[in-house]
Amino acid sequence: MKAWISSVGASAIAYASAAGDLWRVYVGTIAGIVRSFSREHRRNRPRGELARQLHNVGNRSLVFIVVTLGFIGMVMTYQGCLQLGRVTGDYSQVGQQFLRLLVSDFGPTLTALMLATRVGAGIAAEIGSMKVTEQIDALRMSGVLPIDYLIVPRFLACLVMTLLLTVVGGTVMYVAGGLTAHYSFGVNLNTFYDISQVRPRHLVMMVVKAVSYGAAIPVVAGFCGLRARGSSEGVGWATTAAVIGSSFAVIVLDFIISAGALFLTGGDL
Amino acid sequence: MSASAASPIRFERVEKRYGRHEVLAGVSLDLAPRMRLGLIGPAASGKSVMCKLACGLEAPDRGRIEVLGTDITGKREHELGALRRRIGMLFQNYALFDFLTVEQNVAFPLEQRGGPSGDKLTAAQIAERVAERLRAVGLAGSERKLTAELSGGMKKRVGIARATVIDAELVIYDEPSAGLDPVTTQKIYDLLAADQARTGAAVLAVSSDVVALAQFVDEIAFLYRGHIIYRGPAATIADAPDPIVRQFVRGELTGPMDDLPPQREGA
Repeated sequence: MKAWISSVGASAIAYASAAGDLWRVYVGTIAGIVRSFSREHRRNRPRGELARQLHNVGNRSLVFIVVTLGFIGMVMTYQGCLQLGRVTGDYSQVGQQFLRLLVSDFGPTLTALMLATRVGAGIAAEIGSMKVTEQIDALRMSGVLPIDYLIVPRFLACLVMTLLLTVVGGTVMYVAGGLTAHYSFGVNLNTFYDISQVRPRHLVMMVVKAVSYGAAIPVVAGFCGLRARGSSEGVGWATTAAVIGSSFAVIVLDFIISAGALFLTGGDL
Repeated sequence: MSASAASPIRFERVEKRYGRHEVLAGVSLDLAPRMRLGLIGPAASGKSVMCKLACGLEAPDRGRIEVLGTDITGKREHELGALRRRIGMLFQNYALFDFLTVEQNVAFPLEQRGGPSGDKLTAAQIAERVAERLRAVGLAGSERKLTAELSGGMKKRVGIARATVIDAELVIYDEPSAGLDPVTTQKIYDLLAADQARTGAAVLAVSSDVVALAQFVDEIAFLYRGHIIYRGPAATIADAPDPIVRQFVRGELTGPMDDLPPQREGA
């Protein structure tokens, strides 16, 4: 019994310590962005790194996001129409409600979940392998703060690209859903592509979610990479933890932002 | 550059543990200016940990560490930047940046830290200094190669060029000859000796190759079970009065080290 209690206590302390470290990485990243405006720290910035990260996060994820969200859009619309057909047979609201859901929730959340697997794993593997090969220590010996050098450019790139990919992925999802509804259930395209139900608050929610997810993924993944220990096995664990952690962060943030929006709008979403 | 008048490295009753494994149990160590000190000991005895503690890359659990006249105990990362500008470090596994070429690796500390006084160097000054260092380590012509294209010995030499490019007051070499053949090992130590003679830097060198190390350093300290149990002239290390040291240096299979407990994981 005593051993069990001490084991639970040790786990609780380890989780609390990890949460503290994650928070420090987040605060360090924000501080790093502020520092990057100073002249002294500007020379520490790797040349062209932001552009490289924008390319890595955005361009290299584009096909993956477009194809995945396109298929999800088709499946969701097909299932929606199928169920509606069984209950009412009226498809007039399918497109409008699908768009509302897509803008306020599915667009940013599904895009971020896809990015969590592709970009999150990449960031953790890259930083983790640098950690286990002592390259992070070599950076520190050169007077470079690893968070400034490695996480800040990825953070900025993810902020921008999660939003852009949400717009692109959401558009593809919407178009693919409309075509599926039209060719499978005969839904009129003008009826489906009616955007009158989308309100500015839905767009605000999309932007808030996309930016929040874009901030969470590189911080969680970078934190996992910086905690990598040992050798390639440690990098593997860091990568797995990054995918799980950043996906979990996306889901939790989705819940918090949605609940906050419901509260702020009095349930009128 | 002249070495600092203060003791380059001073450990006072330093303790360090990882989980339940105690690596350093109250180590005290002093390094005189311009001195070359070798640190030896069994595998996983904490030699590399001492190197990292001396640079502030790890923090001690207890005790006090002074480096180049600065107490680094409890210092935060951003407070150590100015001090690290005066320290060169060769990592055990090279720690070369795999996304940079050879010359970019060597230039990195100069670009990030500037010159010895922290002043920003021009691109021409950096290029000249890097070329000189690469010539010194025999890697002229390999400037544009990526580190993945280099052999182990070449990587080690790039690491040495990077560690010495700033003319540091204190240079720490963690296993400078590990994995190298005897000829390359001798070349590496000749290079380190010439470099130290030029700069007058204090040197802490960790190595398992006691014979080669003894030719390079002035004194050798022996780390065993978390303590420095012996320190004496390098030339007479094989005849040290401590039987454990003698057994280790001579590589004898039987002796007082027989009662070594099995090394725990994570040491």
